[in-house]
Amino acid sequence: MKRYYGWVMAALAVAVLLPLAPMNISAQAGPAKGGGKAGDKAKDTLTPTGPTPRTPDGKVDFNGVYAPANFANYGAAFPLQPWAKKIFDDRRAGLSKDDPEGYCLPAGVPRISPFPEKFVQTKDLFVILDEGNVHSYRQIFLDGRGHGKGLDQLWMGHSIGKWEGNDTLVVDSVGFNDKTWLNGQGAPHSDKLHVTEKYTRPDLGHVNVEITIDDPGALTAPHTFTRSFLLRPDWELLEYVCNEFNIDSDRLVGK
Amino acid sequence: MKSTCVAALVAASGLFSASIPLLAHHSFAAEYDSTQPITLKGTVKELKWQNPHAYVFVDVKDESGKTVTWALETLSPNALARQGWNRDSLKRGDAVTVEAYKAKDPRPLPDGSLHGNGRSFALADGKRVFAGAAEDGGPDSATARGK
Repeated sequence: MKRYYGWVMAALAVAVLLPLAPMNISAQAGPAKGGGKAGDKAKDTLTPTGPTPRTPDGKVDFNGVYAPANFANYGAAFPLQPWAKKIFDDRRAGLSKDDPEGYCLPAGVPRISPFPEKFVQTKDLFVILDEGNVHSYRQIFLDGRGHGKGLDQLWMGHSIGKWEGNDTLVVDSVGFNDKTWLNGQGAPHSDKLHVTEKYTRPDLGHVNVEITIDDPGALTAPHTFTRSFLLRPDWELLEYVCNEFNIDSDRLVGK
Repeated sequence: MKSTCVAALVAASGLFSASIPLLAHHSFAAEYDSTQPITLKGTVKELKWQNPHAYVFVDVKDESGKTVTWALETLSPNALARQGWNRDSLKRGDAVTVEAYKAKDPRPLPDGSLHGNGRSFALADGKRVFAGAAEDGGPDSATARGK
């Protein structure tokens, strides 16, 4: 019996640890010592638990550094118009060789990089700082202003936000160019892109964003999906200077 | 017994850490050939800790005995740092066995180095440096890019 005890324990150890192996959440590029699959609540040892933080006026406090939980799994099935579907198919066939991200250009909205984001919230302004991509940022104005005019052809668009009660921050973004991709597979959009995001924070560790993309220039219907972020209380944004030595742009040959 | 258990734990942990996703800002398949895996045995010439990808330059003797240098793309420094690596994780002169993939573009880099993507760098003591499944749609990726 004793003879087999070690092997039984060993098998148990493997059985316990092996399920952790196929991690598929890019944003959790956390230290290996952190352990756990950040997107899997059962094994997530990096995301803290606790009640939703709130500002003195009772609204949800989103401040913090977050890892995207489902970077690789968002918006897969955009209902593309025929011309957009053709571009999408061409980009798939080209293995995403022309992805603006490969050229260190902004990812646009609502696409994100696999790296962490920092939310900075004040009464009148909500700022999203993206560690990845080109250190892009979004200013979301909460001061009651409208979108105004002359905003067209922006890489990151123009964003205004308002509160629905104390729990949901609704962000409305327009004024985009048509150069960014909706995802890494190459779903295109037009300059009529209109993005609505509803930010909620059901507990300390999680922020959910319900995203609706409306683009009468490229989609056949509005498309809604949800993205989640996981609080990383011990992380800070790190440097990522995409253009330092981007030899890739000259070597993305595709097929 | 204990040692068996510990060994299994270490092995399982190795699998675990080996599959921590790494990150890239471009599609793996657009630049590297997943049908061209190579194993390179050589010594570290230099680690360039730079964006958007750190590069490891490894001197390898080819079949004729001539030393050639491979320039092997890894992750960005921020991604490597969060996994506990740093610019001293590989040092000049370290003997390494590299699991890599050739670039589709056969041109060497401007310095003459052959070009590839390094997925893991095993040191003489078996420690695997920068090992992982990059989130770039590469052959050991857990998911295809940008789904």
